[in-house]
Amino acid sequence: MATHEDKGAGASRPDGSSRATDIGGLGIALGLFVFAALIAWDASSYPERRSYAQIGPEIFPYIVGAGIAIFGVLTIVMARRGDFPEREALNFAPVLWLLAALGGMTALLYAGSGFIIASSVLFGLAARGFGRKPVWLTFLVGLLLNCMLYVLFRQGLGLSLPGGLIEPYINVLFR
Amino acid sequence: MDTFSLLLDGLLVAAQPGNLGFALLGVLLGTAVGVLPGLGPALTVALLLPVSLSFGATGSMIMFAGIYYGGMYGGAISSILLNTPGETASIMTALEGNKMAKDGRGGKALGAAAIGSFFGGTCATIGLAIIAPLMVKVALAFGPAEYFALMVLSFLTVSAAFGGSLMRGLTALFIGLSIGLVGIDRLTGQARLSFGVPELRDNISIATVAVGLFAIGETLYIASQSSTMNEKMQAVKGSVWLTLGELKRCLKPFLRGTGLGFMFGPLPTGGAEIPTFLSYSAERRTAKGIAREEFDSGKGAIEGVAGPEAANNASAAGTLIPLLTLGLPTSATAAVMLAGFQQYGLQPGPLLFTSNSELVWGLIASLFIANLMLVVINLPFVGVWVRLLTIPKPWLYAGIMTFAALGIIGAQGTPFSLILLLVFGLVGFVMRRFDYPLAPVLVGAILGPLAEEQLRRGLMINQGDFSFLVTSWIALTIYAIAVAAVAGPLLWSRFSKRGIEASKALHEH
Repeated sequence: MATHEDKGAGASRPDGSSRATDIGGLGIALGLFVFAALIAWDASSYPERRSYAQIGPEIFPYIVGAGIAIFGVLTIVMARRGDFPEREALNFAPVLWLLAALGGMTALLYAGSGFIIASSVLFGLAARGFGRKPVWLTFLVGLLLNCMLYVLFRQGLGLSLPGGLIEPYINVLFR
Repeated sequence: MDTFSLLLDGLLVAAQPGNLGFALLGVLLGTAVGVLPGLGPALTVALLLPVSLSFGATGSMIMFAGIYYGGMYGGAISSILLNTPGETASIMTALEGNKMAKDGRGGKALGAAAIGSFFGGTCATIGLAIIAPLMVKVALAFGPAEYFALMVLSFLTVSAAFGGSLMRGLTALFIGLSIGLVGIDRLTGQARLSFGVPELRDNISIATVAVGLFAIGETLYIASQSSTMNEKMQAVKGSVWLTLGELKRCLKPFLRGTGLGFMFGPLPTGGAEIPTFLSYSAERRTAKGIAREEFDSGKGAIEGVAGPEAANNASAAGTLIPLLTLGLPTSATAAVMLAGFQQYGLQPGPLLFTSNSELVWGLIASLFIANLMLVVINLPFVGVWVRLLTIPKPWLYAGIMTFAALGIIGAQGTPFSLILLLVFGLVGFVMRRFDYPLAPVLVGAILGPLAEEQLRRGLMINQGDFSFLVTSWIALTIYAIAVAAVAGPLLWSRFSKRGIEASKALHEH
């Protein structure tokens, strides 16, 4: 598969400069530092307690936070040495579609649209992200699928799925 | 004798119509997902975690084990016909299997794979039934110090075994430990890492973590890859039933593969990769006569399919020994199954064998039944499974995302859980892209709080004296094993490197 090889070489780390610093790796290290600081800040806010154990609820967070900070440092070392495996070029568009799909579903559920509509938006946008057009069609397929899933899991297995615009009508049908 | 009667009791549990149904559902789902390239058994079990809450503990565990075994069978189908191993355990199967399919003997390869899987799975399950009670006898003597040592062992081994790099494994473990911290501290009632969000005070559900990392993360990863697999699918040619002569050729590979798989399954070396590789290279090295010619000429030898397939199913059974008796997961799927036990408030370990003996022995007995079901649904119906490969990607992955969201929202009931799902999906995506192993995150999140509790309780009893941790010989032995388990994979890295080269060679064909 020659095409596979070509694309691999076009990734963030070209063949010739395998010792160049891996920017993505540095990003991970930064994330780890921020996270470690967050854990430590949270642990420092607990009220002081006295107990026989001599170690309170803050000790484990400090240990974990310190560990994450140490691995952040090691991640920088790895990124500088180019120890991360080669990656293909990142295809942003589909990832954004999928993130929009999950985000859209969450927003719609908070807005009270109910499970079926929210989940159909998820399905429609996710299928679009994988290249299936047009969006109205993928949404409709999702609507059909989710109506079936709702009946199966709500009525069949008794899973509590949030109701909204469509669900009351389906519930009436199965009463 | 004792084991035998327990196993008979287990068979009675497993033969209840409901449980038979769960086993069938598990093997069907497992095979279906195993067939689809890129989807492994770990992902399937994760997807079903939240939904299975209404199935009951015994039923869902039987189903999960069925998925695990089924995934191993299904992986062989896509490896042989499409040359795209569904999961790492099937990489070696693809080597000879796909060549056989191109030579017009795909049916025979599928037959050898199915019978090999049955043989390996069944023998290793017998081994599981014999060895597990012995392990339990040892483990019953454990106190807080030993349990803490065991958790340290588990932390180190999952981190060292999965993925290539110990550093990345340990980073993943610590991310998991931090997830385990979130929520109300069990001993003092202090809310940790909750930032005033009420949903976070109630701990993060392990199912959300598992589904986010495995299902959402994997889907994002697949979407982000610009290159698509364009291997041509081979039609199933020739009978899937083996002749007596072919069975004879397969017998020794079956035996060797089963032995290797069962030996390596319980060891924290990352599941089925090493035993399948060793089995393949053993067959290749020892091949004589027709087999030698078929290996060398690139026509594909049946031994090269039979051995690794027996090995990967045997290793699945082997993995269950440390999982059930000690609560140690040695493969990604086992880690997700551990999350499943946790969901029902069950902690796998020696006590599980006494307190929930019906569940444990029912599970073990159902493995025999699942294996039998798998041969039946695989040999004659292989064509049906092949058709799954024609599902267009957009529908398939949109369906997976939908199912993931449905499970989480159904089990948690609040849209906030979807925000967490998205966060863990992104974390899983970045980890997958940068080759971090995912299993240590789960193990850290599950066992972290337990380890902390054991340590702090032990310290309270011993009035703050840390030395109780190292006064027991059993604990010290476990620490020694932990050190060896970290050093061991470094020795094996030589082999896994060769395994990676072999899998790269796949792409050149």
